[in-house]
Amino acid sequence: MSHSTLPDCEPKSTSTLPEQLGVLVVRKHHFLVRWSHWLNVPILLGLILSGISIYWASPIYQHKPDPNTGNFDVAADIGIWICAHVPGQHHYSSPPDWIYNHMSLGPGMLALALRLHWLCAYLFMLNGMVYVAGLVRGGGWRSLLPRRTDLLDALRMVRYYLGFPFAKLARRQWPHPLFNTKYNALQRAAYFSVPVTGLISVATGWAMHKPMQLDWLAALFGGYNAARVWHFWLMWIYILFVVPHVILVFADGWDTLRSMIVGWSTRAERSEVVGNEQ
Amino acid sequence: MNNEGKGDIPSTGVAPEVKPASVQKPQRFFGEQPLPAIEMAPRVLRYQSRRDFLVFGAGALAALAGGGFLLPEDTLSRMGMPRNMDSPGKEWFLNKALRIDDDVAEALYSVNRRVPTYAKSQITPLKNNYNGTTPDPRYIPGWKLTLDGLASGLSISLDIRTLLTRFSVHEQITRLVCVEGWSAIAWWAGPGFDDLLRAYPPMSQAKWARVESSVNLDASGNPDPYFMSLDLATARHPQTLLATHFNGQPLTVDHGAPLRLLVPVKLGLKNVKAITRITYVAEEPRDYWAERGYSRYDGI
Repeated sequence: MSHSTLPDCEPKSTSTLPEQLGVLVVRKHHFLVRWSHWLNVPILLGLILSGISIYWASPIYQHKPDPNTGNFDVAADIGIWICAHVPGQHHYSSPPDWIYNHMSLGPGMLALALRLHWLCAYLFMLNGMVYVAGLVRGGGWRSLLPRRTDLLDALRMVRYYLGFPFAKLARRQWPHPLFNTKYNALQRAAYFSVPVTGLISVATGWAMHKPMQLDWLAALFGGYNAARVWHFWLMWIYILFVVPHVILVFADGWDTLRSMIVGWSTRAERSEVVGNEQ
Repeated sequence: MNNEGKGDIPSTGVAPEVKPASVQKPQRFFGEQPLPAIEMAPRVLRYQSRRDFLVFGAGALAALAGGGFLLPEDTLSRMGMPRNMDSPGKEWFLNKALRIDDDVAEALYSVNRRVPTYAKSQITPLKNNYNGTTPDPRYIPGWKLTLDGLASGLSISLDIRTLLTRFSVHEQITRLVCVEGWSAIAWWAGPGFDDLLRAYPPMSQAKWARVESSVNLDASGNPDPYFMSLDLATARHPQTLLATHFNGQPLTVDHGAPLRLLVPVKLGLKNVKAITRITYVAEEPRDYWAERGYSRYDGI
């Protein structure tokens, strides 16, 4: 999602290049980064769906059993509420199962969900290594590191996003904040925290999976039960990340989406901006 | 020269030996470097893009097919994709993942690593988790523990009085972790499994114990013998007990009177209640929950 405020400057660039008429591109993503990025989609989907199926076997958030339904799971309450209030769901056969039938593989399949979860978890760890290898080989890791100016720059980006719809409505100019790095401060914060979230998800996963052999790891997160709570809420970070991530990629355009498949972007002028600064 | 970066190459008239990329050094290690722009022939770019789109498209299709292949039938039929094949390939694949996880658990295990113990103030309630119906306590007076597969070749039967007088009692407050995710800290006491193994050594080629309860019932109250595999390396762990006491009192029928396995380095489902028979064998024995799709080793 790199942004440019300059028009395509291809003609200007070619003037300084050898005679061949070519397209000026920048290599944005190493191919290992691209592969691991897309592999995360099925793997994380599998982890979340099987994870919620596992959650159902012993929900973290419980209340006293309801005298009418016998339900004690707070998540299942949401399903019961939906079945009672959402048109078209009134005759749902099992209201407490609604949430599990719609947000997981389904209830009552712990053995299967565990097998899929371990499978996806090992793939997720392998994929994380592929991603890190791609960041190192392509040098992309430097673009993800937080820097001191990020807080102020992030606020400028927030101001830009908040004002954008109003500026559009008022047909006013609303220039994108200028920056000469691969990502803006908000992107950097997001792209930096998602791998960190992945790391903590894996760590809390192992803490829950091997609370005896790795009891030091469980202790790091406040014990076995606390590790379960961590693991549950970390899942929401992926969900909260993906929604704006997908919206902004589409808003930013085809070049950005394509760059995660082919690796290059035709928004090549930015490197000149950096170059001119020297 | 802006495509090469900063273009600080000294103009000696001779082409520099080193590539410009390595000359433009004075770069901080953590500093972000500008993305180098490259001139690409449109034809090459088109060819590479087509290749990448095809490869990634094939990958997406493969992921879809893999997901459809691995998803449970219940899930698929709820999505309006009824499917009536339990393919052996799928079972093999998922079991493979499970075995890898079990191998990891086995590699993590050490007979010398003690599990955390707790103070009495940290004890939490432990529910009666009999899978099915709690057995009729009338089995308790005539209860005996039978040992098979011994080095002596004999079959030994021990009653609870003999067990409690012959072996010293160990006490521990440890966490019992269920495969479902809940756990309970409880105070247990009883002879160590290791002491039993020393007093009645298994046959030399034995690597496994089959731990069995013949009094287990299914949900409708019919006999449903419970059997479970336990590797002898885990049986020898100093905190693996043949528990006779819970919270300072003899075990109640809920918790597997008069003798249950307490193996805190394994999931709760390995902690067989009301053990009636232990058989030492060379090959990995059958396991009640492994036959129902759970893992076999269950080390935690």
